[in-house]
Amino acid sequence: MVTTEWLEDEVRSVLPNCTVEAIDLHGTQDHFHIRIIESSFEGMRPLQRQKLLLNHFKPYIPHPIHAIDLKCMTPEQAQTAGDTVFDPHGGGTGIHIKRIQKHQNKE
Amino acid sequence: MEWTPEELQAIVDEHALVLFMKGEPNAAQCGFSNRAAQVMQALGEPFASVNILSDPRAIPSVCAWSDFPTMPQVYVHGELIGGSDIALDMLNDGSLREMFDAGRQA
Repeated sequence: MVTTEWLEDEVRSVLPNCTVEAIDLHGTQDHFHIRIIESSFEGMRPLQRQKLLLNHFKPYIPHPIHAIDLKCMTPEQAQTAGDTVFDPHGGGTGIHIKRIQKHQNKE
Repeated sequence: MEWTPEELQAIVDEHALVLFMKGEPNAAQCGFSNRAAQVMQALGEPFASVNILSDPRAIPSVCAWSDFPTMPQVYVHGELIGGSDIALDMLNDGSLREMFDAGRQA
């Protein structure tokens, strides 16, 4: 079973300095939204950012991870990002989430 | 259709906008595919869509060819831009229009 904690740890193994928050969209441990704030995303195209992470998670797609929606933001973009997450089974509506912390983790 | 890399490349070479998706644009079988189809329709340019549920070989073949593990996949002038989330962001910030127009003039 995939947990949000495991996903966040895996993201940090790729991007040790990022701020990451994984959300289980339906409580079913297979549809996830992950928001990542990472300063090195600056200057990278959206696809390059996602591929860093998708390449890492590839062995787990589509099982046990059926859906993984990645929001890859620079710290600047995170300042203006909304709190609504797209839900692929929500009939066009979004899910309102708690906003990711705005500062970088420096652990 | 055998879903060979040559066939897939020919599709994205032939059409300026290509959407590999689950289902058809007006009958998507997945929320992400539906969102990608809506982005294509909002752009207002003709696009080709490929239903990757039409053949069990399609998803593994397309994902291996593109080196991108999820569906849908959006191609502009032969280049993969990403899935529905990137397509929507690029529609909203104007870069999808820019990329489409730039390739058309070339």
